[in-house]
Amino acid sequence: MFNEKVELNDFEKQDPEYQDLLRRVLAIQADCEIGGPNLYVKNILPTAPSKVDQLIVARTAAEEVDHFRKIAKLAGDIGVDVSYVLNWPNEKRYVEAFRGSIKTWEDYAVFGFLIDRVGRYQLEEFIDCSYLPLDRVVKDSQVIREEEGHIDFGMNKTAEYAAKGGEAKERIQKAVDYWYVKGLDMFGRTESYRSERYRQWGLKRRTNAEAREQYRQECNALIEQMGLEIPDPTKGRLYF
Amino acid sequence: MQPAPNTEALDEHLRVVIQALHGAVSRAMPHVKDDPKTADQAIADCKEILDEVIEGKVSEWLK
Repeated sequence: MFNEKVELNDFEKQDPEYQDLLRRVLAIQADCEIGGPNLYVKNILPTAPSKVDQLIVARTAAEEVDHFRKIAKLAGDIGVDVSYVLNWPNEKRYVEAFRGSIKTWEDYAVFGFLIDRVGRYQLEEFIDCSYLPLDRVVKDSQVIREEEGHIDFGMNKTAEYAAKGGEAKERIQKAVDYWYVKGLDMFGRTESYRSERYRQWGLKRRTNAEAREQYRQECNALIEQMGLEIPDPTKGRLYF
Repeated sequence: MQPAPNTEALDEHLRVVIQALHGAVSRAMPHVKDDPKTADQAIADCKEILDEVIEGKVSEWLK
């Protein structure tokens, strides 16, 4: 296990595998940060139920763009230009959950509740990681706190719809069914060689399976509290 | 270590964009009920800014 801490100035002295993995994880993280606004701004900002909701959508998108900026700066500093993900069509995104578009307020709510929660898990992986500039971004900035704000907003809206019962509850259950498996898939394959290498180099803390299981248990408890049904964790899954 | 081209310029551009978005939201949020026109304008401004971000024409931003 790699136990050193690496500053920007020492990056080029690192093993090529370390350099490749860091470049890759920053590109994927940048893509995920900008992937959210690309999913929902077009349809949801103009149609959110109230002006306050519209402004919250705009603020959420601004925060995600800021997270992209911070990760893009880290990548740029090690010579990786990730600006190509800014004009990628959604279908090209690294992570499948970001390849469509969000057209309903229910989907927007559940996206915050479940997918931004995966975003928090991804960011938590970097706490105390071996690359200190990345460790500082996740620890010293508002990134995780803002992500938690998105999760809370989505969770509260999801619970609100569930509590209404009837058609509202059915619509939100449908959105939960859709995003729940996307969230589970976002952790990647259980038997991932690359995931082990990230851990070996101190760039991530948990295995894909460990993180997914923690996420699953956390979500299941919340979904049950809302009086919704826990979706089948295998239906529609791409990665196991 | 040689940074990627335009790293600083993109960072600076996005900082300005983000400030503009936060500024619009902060100005409008307290007045949603008493001044809906201000809120509408802020929402329209945010939409315009975010549409540009999503279009992602980075080379044009950095001219």
